[in-house]
Amino acid sequence: MVMVTVLYFAKSAELTGHRSEVVPLPAATSSCQLWALLLELHPSLAALQDQVVLAVRQQYVALGDQALLLADGDEVAVVPPLSGG
Amino acid sequence: MSSREEVGGSMEPSRDLIGLSSEPLSIERVYSSAVSPSCGAVALFIGTTREHFEGRRVIRLEYEAYEPMVKSELSAVCRDIRSRWPMVKHICIQHRLGLVPVAEASVAIAISSPHRCEAQEAVGYCINALKASAPIWKKVIKSVCVWCVWCGVVCGVWRHSRIAFE
Repeated sequence: MVMVTVLYFAKSAELTGHRSEVVPLPAATSSCQLWALLLELHPSLAALQDQVVLAVRQQYVALGDQALLLADGDEVAVVPPLSGG
Repeated sequence: MSSREEVGGSMEPSRDLIGLSSEPLSIERVYSSAVSPSCGAVALFIGTTREHFEGRRVIRLEYEAYEPMVKSELSAVCRDIRSRWPMVKHICIQHRLGLVPVAEASVAIAISSPHRCEAQEAVGYCINALKASAPIWKKVIKSVCVWCVWCGVVCGVWRHSRIAFE
């Protein structure tokens, strides 16, 4: 297990009541497993199920089977649909 | 007079200026960041807060961002622009964060090139790419009770993963 900072933005921050938290996560995982773990922590995130992607070390990752390797101190962001500009 | 001064602006290195600020945007400063003696055109795009959203009057927008990742994503957009339009000289992208009242600017983009075609095309590409890839979100604060909503519109594909949201 590694300690990862999870960042919440926009709707995900409202749903969870958090801007950030440090979470123990498996070092070897996938994006959909990661999402499932976050849903266990914050079931209210289910409202974003079909709209969200993650950003791991500031790289977008879609929810799927893509293998992820995490390390202590990594940042994972929950990214609701973008609306900049 | 040095050889650098004789040649003039064509010696200046091209620059990408990307900034986020909670202060009101200065269009003059954005323009000045892009203008170059080697260029005959500066194309500008300014996005402003509209007074209506989904049939309700808007009081203001509130923006937030994953700031370090905005910088990296917009740097990648600048690389894309330079690859597609090699004649582009300077690129300035400034986005406001926090509260943006109606009719004020939330984003300003200025791009210079020797001739207008490249700058105009690049600015259009730039705002579309920003909206599709920069981790920035706006919350619409409307009149009538306390209903506020995060704008959930995704206007295009995710640049990296190529997943489209409807």
